[in-house]
Amino acid sequence: MSILDKTTAEAATTSGPETLAPTQVAPASAPAGVGRRSAVLGFAERYALVGLLALIVLFFSLYPDSAETFPTRANLNVLLGNQAVTALLALAVLMPLICGHFDFSVGAVAASSSVACAGLMSRHSVSLLLCVLAAVLFGALVGAVNGLLVTRFAMSAFVSTLGMATLLGGVIQWYTKGQAISSNISDSLVSFGSLSWWGVPRLVYVVAVALVVLWYLLSQTPYGRSLYAIGSNPRAAALVGIPVRGYSFLGFVGAGTLAGVAGVLLAARTGGATADSGTAMLFPALAAVFLGATAIQPGRFNVWGTLVGVLFVSVSVSGLTLAGASDWVNPVFNGLALLLAVALSSLLASRRAAGRT
Amino acid sequence: MTAPTVRTVLALEADGLCKSFAGTPALRDATLSVRPGTVHALLGGNGSGKSTLLKVLAGVHVADAGEVAVHGSRWPAAAMTARRAREAGLRFVHQDLGLFDSLTVAENVGLAAGFPVGAGGGVRWRELNRYVAGLLEHFEIDARPTTPVGELRPAQRTMVAIARALQDRGQQGGDQQGGDQQGGDRQDPAAGSVLLLDEPTASLPDHESRLLMTSLRRRADLGQTVVLVSHHMQEVLSVADDITVLRDGRVAGSVVGRTPSEAELVELIAGRSVDRSRHSGRPAGDVVLDVQQLSAGPLRDLTLQVRRGEVVGLAGLVGSGRTTALSALFGGRRPTAGTLLLGGAPYRPRGARDAMRRGVALVPEDRLADAAFADMSVSDNCSATVLSRYFRGWLRAGEQRRDAQALLRQYDVKAPGTAAPLSALSGGNQQKVVLARWLRRDPSLLLLDEPTQGVDVVARSDIYRTIRTAASGGCAVLVASSDFEELTLLCDRVLVLRGGRVVADLPADDVTADRLTHLVQAADSNEEVLP
Repeated sequence: MSILDKTTAEAATTSGPETLAPTQVAPASAPAGVGRRSAVLGFAERYALVGLLALIVLFFSLYPDSAETFPTRANLNVLLGNQAVTALLALAVLMPLICGHFDFSVGAVAASSSVACAGLMSRHSVSLLLCVLAAVLFGALVGAVNGLLVTRFAMSAFVSTLGMATLLGGVIQWYTKGQAISSNISDSLVSFGSLSWWGVPRLVYVVAVALVVLWYLLSQTPYGRSLYAIGSNPRAAALVGIPVRGYSFLGFVGAGTLAGVAGVLLAARTGGATADSGTAMLFPALAAVFLGATAIQPGRFNVWGTLVGVLFVSVSVSGLTLAGASDWVNPVFNGLALLLAVALSSLLASRRAAGRT
Repeated sequence: MTAPTVRTVLALEADGLCKSFAGTPALRDATLSVRPGTVHALLGGNGSGKSTLLKVLAGVHVADAGEVAVHGSRWPAAAMTARRAREAGLRFVHQDLGLFDSLTVAENVGLAAGFPVGAGGGVRWRELNRYVAGLLEHFEIDARPTTPVGELRPAQRTMVAIARALQDRGQQGGDQQGGDQQGGDRQDPAAGSVLLLDEPTASLPDHESRLLMTSLRRRADLGQTVVLVSHHMQEVLSVADDITVLRDGRVAGSVVGRTPSEAELVELIAGRSVDRSRHSGRPAGDVVLDVQQLSAGPLRDLTLQVRRGEVVGLAGLVGSGRTTALSALFGGRRPTAGTLLLGGAPYRPRGARDAMRRGVALVPEDRLADAAFADMSVSDNCSATVLSRYFRGWLRAGEQRRDAQALLRQYDVKAPGTAAPLSALSGGNQQKVVLARWLRRDPSLLLLDEPTQGVDVVARSDIYRTIRTAASGGCAVLVASSDFEELTLLCDRVLVLRGGRVVADLPADDVTADRLTHLVQAADSNEEVLP
């Protein structure tokens, strides 16, 4: 009966008017002014980040120090080409995050996949196609291990993927001996990383394909909707027949695969591989995903919001660099963007959960 | 019902308490008189107002009218705040004890009472442990300060919560440091305090309840005043000096200074004005579910049949196996023995998916934890059980929305719209959404676990109607509930579970809330049940 009291109390605070006035069912019958106001607010919430992005573009296009270099096709190409890896990593983080798990290993997976790709090519003269396949497969495999650890052995993804990232960083050190791998890299791979098709960097096409595929998967298939349900309430998801463990596992495999592809793009862009552990790539991607959860579908991790998030972070950093800001500005901006984005998206999520009150 | 002839000042008094929620009265002119040094039981069925009364006293709810007096000092009930209640000596132990299982007893006490700190700001553990050891001894709890609370047996955990509530350290503002060598006097609970317990045995097994009752009785004999909210008659009869029974927010009666008969209490709790607009007994159809000698968890040899169009109730206390039975039928729990037939064919569900494929639906007991996708839209919540229907190349969002709209209308759900998050709905409306998403699958067997828990009175009758309609449409329904009034109103037949076994199978005409109350409780007294 204590529960009964609780809900009657809830009824008093959240839905008093509804229980009293049964006609007030649809938003259409709500007072017109209120409806319009919340519609306007909703629109503003959805596109605030897009608007901010436009403002930043406008600012750096007019700001004297960057006005000459920023709004040029060359800069745009550099910017998009450089951000392809970040964008793919952001998409990779997205899948486990939707079903409620962090994957901190995607940066390290991308780094080690680029080392695998370049290493096979440079040291073992394996053909390009096989190198690419092996690198992507490697990513998928690491994703599968992460998925197993989290779903089968019920480990905290937060810890296990962090462990995986550290482990991979060490393996990279061992394999590369701290040296960059840049000899005998296939020319077609390098040109794929630096040239354009129809004026757009080739890497961007890969990102575009990934965006569309992931958008379709996450928002247009029962699988995607189920991932959101798992993230919302895993126990309830299991009780409506969703294979929670299997689907979460696949989410991790997807993340690993995307990170593997990102590794190939990284090899193509840099013409080989470095001994870097890849953690530095993780945080801009995380910032983008959390920023993305404040846009397009606020309060929810989503594909188009993530794209806006990536662009937001990269355009701001590029503009600041061109405007002559020092090196330290870049990480400071990324860090601030991540903090702000997490704060905003958790605020939105809690507001959503609390309903309209 | 003899009036007390004692002229001593009452420990706690409430007069004319009124409280309503959204126009629905939860307390109407309720009174309570607690004599010092007694165990006073507050009894009543679901929704009778006993928790509301406690919350008004605790200052959680603001009363609409009435007065409260503690040891003779009076306030308007609306002026009660948590702080005033505490200062007046009212100490509450809620159903959720608020203990941290992984921390030690001493840490748990320290968190509530304040840690004694040394000059450097560090906790003086030895002092704390000594203090807590004294406290444990005083309350006769067989535990050490360094034992993690999670390792204590359930009754002891409750006693620790009680000891923590009653201890008086650090309450006089600021931590008192030093001077603790003066012995056990300072560990005495606040003099003249009143301990109020909200359903302390709701989740305890029988023998633990009995242990706890013995401890409470002992506290009272030592002079502690105790108010015990409960719906277990047996425990009340075993321990209480005085009893106040609430029904529909009113005092249905009170018993002072004597032990009433069980029948007398049942009559007070259930009342005589029960609405008998119950399920009409239609001829039932073929057997849909046939369970033979099922054993799983606490369940022992459960045998039951549910027919097409029939609503069968499972009555029992917490731990009697009713939830286990439903879970086993939905593939959540593997039976250790027994056979299941569904629609005449063997049925061995390995999970929710299996069960759903065979046309079984389950509305779980704990909506928040097991059914609600709180932050997802009403539309998404409605289609969670039938997602693949909307997938033809892509998810047909428009269709989903239109169907959700139709469901909201069909089941009379009040929602701000299909795009609103489920959490924007009241408990009753959320429950209707959960029910709707299962009924749209046209299940052949509908399993309901406490279908109206946390649901307001109006939504409750809507839900009953919905269940009946589903049954007349040919669905076989199995309802587990601890609300016997509910079973009386809904069911064609009620099975009574006790200790994992079916102890009675009652046809609709024989089902009354009193009868069920007798039957499920009989275990305690171990006596055979009235015919």
